Amino acid sequence: MRKRIETYFDPLPFYFEPLEVQLSDKQKYPLSAITQRPMAMYHSWDSQNAWLRQIHAHNYLYMSPDLGEKEGFGDGDWVWVESQWGKVRCMCRFSEAVEPGTVWTWNAIGKSAGAWNLDQGANESKKGFLLNHLISEELPAHADGEHLSNSDPVTGQAGWYDVRVRVYKADEDEDKVVYPQFKAVASMPGEASKRPKWMTYFAGKFAKGGSR
Amino acid sequence: MTQLALVIDLNVCVGCHACVTSCKEWNTSGMAGGMADDNPYGADPTGTFFNRVQTFEVGEYPCSETVHFPKSCLHCEDPPCVPVCPTGASYKREEDGIVLVDYDKCIGCKYCSWACPYGAREFDEHEKVMKKCTLCVDRIYDENIPEAERKPACVRACPTSARLYGDVHDPDSEVSVAIREAGGYQLMPEWGTNPANHYLPRRKTKIRIHEDELVRADNPLKKETDRPTGPIDEPTLDDSTSW
Repeated sequence: MRKRIETYFDPLPFYFEPLEVQLSDKQKYPLSAITQRPMAMYHSWDSQNAWLRQIHAHNYLYMSPDLGEKEGFGDGDWVWVESQWGKVRCMCRFSEAVEPGTVWTWNAIGKSAGAWNLDQGANESKKGFLLNHLISEELPAHADGEHLSNSDPVTGQAGWYDVRVRVYKADEDEDKVVYPQFKAVASMPGEASKRPKWMTYFAGKFAKGGSR
Repeated sequence: MTQLALVIDLNVCVGCHACVTSCKEWNTSGMAGGMADDNPYGADPTGTFFNRVQTFEVGEYPCSETVHFPKSCLHCEDPPCVPVCPTGASYKREEDGIVLVDYDKCIGCKYCSWACPYGAREFDEHEKVMKKCTLCVDRIYDENIPEAERKPACVRACPTSARLYGDVHDPDSEVSVAIREAGGYQLMPEWGTNPANHYLPRRKTKIRIHEDELVRADNPLKKETDRPTGPIDEPTLDDSTSW
């Protein structure tokens, strides 16, 4: 810790390789994985909003088409994305706007089944995923200790953008749902147990299907 | 003759969808509503929106752009959706050029949605009538709200002021000036629809920082440039760089 402070507590900013990257096998995990907020939502807030769900009900892992060509998968295929901490199965989407050494996705779209009072078959739990499963709160054990925080040495901001991953094609016979899946969250008291098949909001209130 | 319209600046739009949701908020409760949602909390939710934002990429890395492209009825001056309507439900107003649908006359035959080359029409499967952007006609003339707020909901919601509203036939209006000065254009003018809505093109932004300014010359991690001065128990290269 003392060495960390001495090295990084400089009043002027300077570039250094992120702490986790310094401790990662960059041959095995050649890609940086980052997340971005969906502009139409704020974190998970309003995930249960019927309109915003239509803008983002699930997410993809965006990547350069070069990566798919190298690994032998196509746009929209199911892939595994794996870090030294864990792995996630998700759908990929090719993008020319992504730096080829980086993959990214919208953050906070993936939900457990039943969470946010969504139906258990909601896209958020079947096709939406979180990169959180690939990210650790602690740095890998190394010479300086086993439980050092994976955070910015100056501000303490968690190192959510520092994870290194690899991406490879999922087998054809694997389930076409995201991994990991979790046991469905039970309804909270007072939550609607059954959702209408359609509804129309009107002046802040909503009428259930057919009553308009 | 007045022709009200929207002018959308693609150089400024960030794709936040505030126009999409504010449009639906106003219109689902207004005279053009309701705007139903199917499967609102289940698998594959879908619903009626008068305004949608399409996002697409242009070019190849590293010279690629992400374009956020808001789409709604363009209120064409020669709207192909009007003459095809067998009941006269689809009409263009003389006084301000807004294209509207009279739900009382609409029989839901969808001819207008086939005729519209821009895909701007939204069929309400529950009320069996065709719906679309009204330019918030029930808001822009409402004398019960302050004059400054008598604008379409999407224009008021846009956080980057990418959406302008006004009379494109008045050469001195804000929209006409913007079209003239920023090179505003119509979508597919060769189709002869003469859309009232215009788009302002994306413009090149040049970086004004020199590369030298992005590199800190005295990066303290570059201790290898330090001359060894003291005894051996001082930090060595291995102590101060990556392990």
